[in-house]
Amino acid sequence: MSIATLEPSADRTKQSPSIIEVRGLTKRFGDLVATGDVDFDVRSGEVHSLLGENGAGKSTLMKLLYGVYQPDAGEILVDGVVHRLDSPADARALGIGMVFQDLRLIPAFTVAENIALSLPGGGFRYRRQAVERQILDAGAELGFSVDPKALVRHLSIGERQRVEILKVLMSGARLVILDEPTSVLAPQEVDGLFTAIRSLRAKGLAVVIITHKLHETRAIADRLSILRAGRMVGSGIDPTTVDDRALISAMVGREVPPLPVERSDPPADRPAALRVTGVHVRGDGGNTALHDIHLEVKAGEVMGVAGVAGSGQRELYEAVLGLRPLHTGDIHIAAVEMAKSDPGAALALGAVGIPEDPISDAVVPGLDVTEHLALSNLSSLRKGLGIDWARARELVAELDRQIGLRMVAHDRTVADLSGGNVQRVMLTRAFGVDCTLLVAAYPSRGLDVATTRRTQELLLAQREAGAGVLFISEDLDELMELSDQIAVLHNGHLAGVVTPGEVDRYAIGQLMLGGSE
Amino acid sequence: MTVIDSPPEEITVAPEAPTKGTNDLARRVGSWVVAYLGALAVFGAFMALKGVNPFVAYRDMFDSTLMNSASLSEVLIKAAPFLLAALAVAVPARGGLVNLGGEGQIVMGGIAAAGVALGLEGKVASGLVMVAMLVGAMVAGALWAALAGVLRVGAGINEAISTLLLNYIAIDVLLYLISGPWKDSAGFGQLASKPLADETRLPTFGSDGRIHLGVFIAMAAAVGIWLLLRSTSWGFQLRVAGGNGEAARRAGLPVAKLLLSGLITGGAMAGLAGAIHFAGVEGQLRPGMTFGFGYIGFLASWLAGHHPIRIAGAALLLGAIAVAGDSLQIDAGLPAASVNVLMAFVLFAVLGKKPRLAGASR
Ligand SMILES: Nc1ncnc2c1ncn2[C@@H]1O[C@H](COP(=O)(O)OP(=O)(O)O)[C@@H](O)[C@H]1O
Ligand SMILES: [Mg+2]
Repeated sequence: MSIATLEPSADRTKQSPSIIEVRGLTKRFGDLVATGDVDFDVRSGEVHSLLGENGAGKSTLMKLLYGVYQPDAGEILVDGVVHRLDSPADARALGIGMVFQDLRLIPAFTVAENIALSLPGGGFRYRRQAVERQILDAGAELGFSVDPKALVRHLSIGERQRVEILKVLMSGARLVILDEPTSVLAPQEVDGLFTAIRSLRAKGLAVVIITHKLHETRAIADRLSILRAGRMVGSGIDPTTVDDRALISAMVGREVPPLPVERSDPPADRPAALRVTGVHVRGDGGNTALHDIHLEVKAGEVMGVAGVAGSGQRELYEAVLGLRPLHTGDIHIAAVEMAKSDPGAALALGAVGIPEDPISDAVVPGLDVTEHLALSNLSSLRKGLGIDWARARELVAELDRQIGLRMVAHDRTVADLSGGNVQRVMLTRAFGVDCTLLVAAYPSRGLDVATTRRTQELLLAQREAGAGVLFISEDLDELMELSDQIAVLHNGHLAGVVTPGEVDRYAIGQLMLGGSE
Repeated sequence: MTVIDSPPEEITVAPEAPTKGTNDLARRVGSWVVAYLGALAVFGAFMALKGVNPFVAYRDMFDSTLMNSASLSEVLIKAAPFLLAALAVAVPARGGLVNLGGEGQIVMGGIAAAGVALGLEGKVASGLVMVAMLVGAMVAGALWAALAGVLRVGAGINEAISTLLLNYIAIDVLLYLISGPWKDSAGFGQLASKPLADETRLPTFGSDGRIHLGVFIAMAAAVGIWLLLRSTSWGFQLRVAGGNGEAARRAGLPVAKLLLSGLITGGAMAGLAGAIHFAGVEGQLRPGMTFGFGYIGFLASWLAGHHPIRIAGAALLLGAIAVAGDSLQIDAGLPAASVNVLMAFVLFAVLGKKPRLAGASR
């Protein structure tokens, strides 16, 4: 079935009026058309799922609806009337609210203070008790238990998200936009979120939920729309009329090949590429971020690391690569103990990292793609006192061909690139090294479907080549698909190590949330 | 990567918005012109407030700096230590460090040159004394900067503060030496060290015999530093460490050593400034002999975006303004320090124009 034959939904919301409707909406960033001539509408009492790959323009479209950006062409109708949304305040006044992909609460404030900041007409006086009661009432209605007095920095990501949703609702929203709300949640938390979304729908509110997970769309959406490269390739479709393959090829524009299934079993007698013994690590705030971790990754094995965001993944990454001192315990890479935490020593033992946050930890302002790749290879590029840049350029061109992640032009400044293109640079750099241990933190973040597939293939190729792979991800599907075993972190503890074929995602979710297997 | 077959066709280069149009040469030059004209206009208004006709004053300043060879030499002689002092800022800036200690490093360089002269004059050939003065001054400036560098990489003490405080200590050392151990007994009560013998002064060139060797040393230093930063692996690594220290650490670069070496190289340049000013112009140590060079160098480096060749231009400009300041005093009756106000306006105009000056360019 091709997407052209997909019919707009004829479901029960058909008769409800559109809260918002856009016609011919176009937004350009320089030469890049982020959304081009988009038609889209949302009706009250419906959950509308917006699908699309990374970079398809989903966030941009929603920010147009929320007044963050102003369109270059096209019009926005709210309740059938054309409106100009010059700022989010204009959108909020019309009953439009948005929870951003990156949550935007102030960590040092309490829940009530954060919400009070956004309440309309609050004036300068902060009526704490009234606001706290309102929060409790609104929370009870949605089945959220939220402590209004809690400091936001003590809340988990899932709890913060609930606060954001309450904040939007309490400022009078009739249309709630959720930008990739599930990407940071455990499966059980997703269920809770969906329960809340259903109760919003029952009250006649409209919800737009962005996701690229089809099973989530199927679980919650009344209608769906698909963006591809800034174009609306399917608008207002009834999910029951399309199958997953049609949806994926609509998102991607072609069929995506499955991962190779036949993989060599990890040989039991292989040596350990990484051995973590009794490791305690302190977090940035001096708290204990990792408690007594014991973990072994064999050469030729992919060890997945699952956990709710902030469960110690970052500290594990940094401890293994010699970036963070160990409080107690020790770490062996390829059977050699790292005497002290020293990133140079870890590199010398053949440990390579794909960083979680490239912009702050790996990207150097002003340097281009070639220079970033040369950085991990300086000793072999030495020419007298200088660097053989001509050779570096050749090597990078060759590497780009081999790895096949299609980086942008190699003389572009990396700091100016979008997230997906920065990630391709990071990945090409890491995969270009013959390593004994690859520590990959969220390697497919910001990538489109085809590039994600390629990245997964490259991870498996490192495994085939005999590297141990420590693979940190927040996407359980991806973890289950690629890992030989999955270590589950909860609150800095190793909650368990499971084998994907033997457990389901709920069992892993249980461990992530601190329950037992 | 032997296991991987040819990459799949379907991966395409992701679209990317073009880099913001910074390559538009005409617009870039235009904005510089506007910035400098703006600074001149504001200073003109300042002079008008003081009852001086700005047009006449500017013409006098222009005539007195650029219209005769004597004052041109004067501009070059003034610009040379500015240039070196600016390099002392630019090299650490590549590593993300703020060196406010050029002044103190210059003073230590001058002291070292004077000390070498006192110790060696008459004992070895004068050429050798000169070389020893220059080398000694570089070592002294480097060590003075290294103090701040060690505090920074060892104890995390902000180098902007420590270099600044070291300036005051250096000046105290200077005052101690010229009022005590190195005091010129034939100095008629003036605080100063014993003058340098004529044959150990830096040789001079040109029709009026005023341009001294130090001018050429400064120019050579600018080219040398430019090559060092641009073409060596060290320069590249320093730039990485300055651009994103965490990225440098994660790439296994020796960040502490890089920062230290950047500060030391800068300090050596400042020390050299002290030596050429001592052995090329002053000939003896006296209080206030380098008054403000370090700070003017700081200004020059920022004006030029820490780029060594552009710094040479900025140093010349500031040299010209400094010489013009004398004419301002003579012809317009404004205090010579008024030109500092003009320099400040130029700085503000340039900083306002280009908020990311700190980002080092190649
Ligand atoms: N502020 C911006 N400036 C320049 N380009 C942007 C900006 N915001 C988004 N883009 C680009 O627009 C495209 C769509 O981005 P986005 O809407 O965030 O995609 P999505 O949310 O679907 O992943 C991407 O190529 C992105 O790089
Ligand atoms: Mg997005």
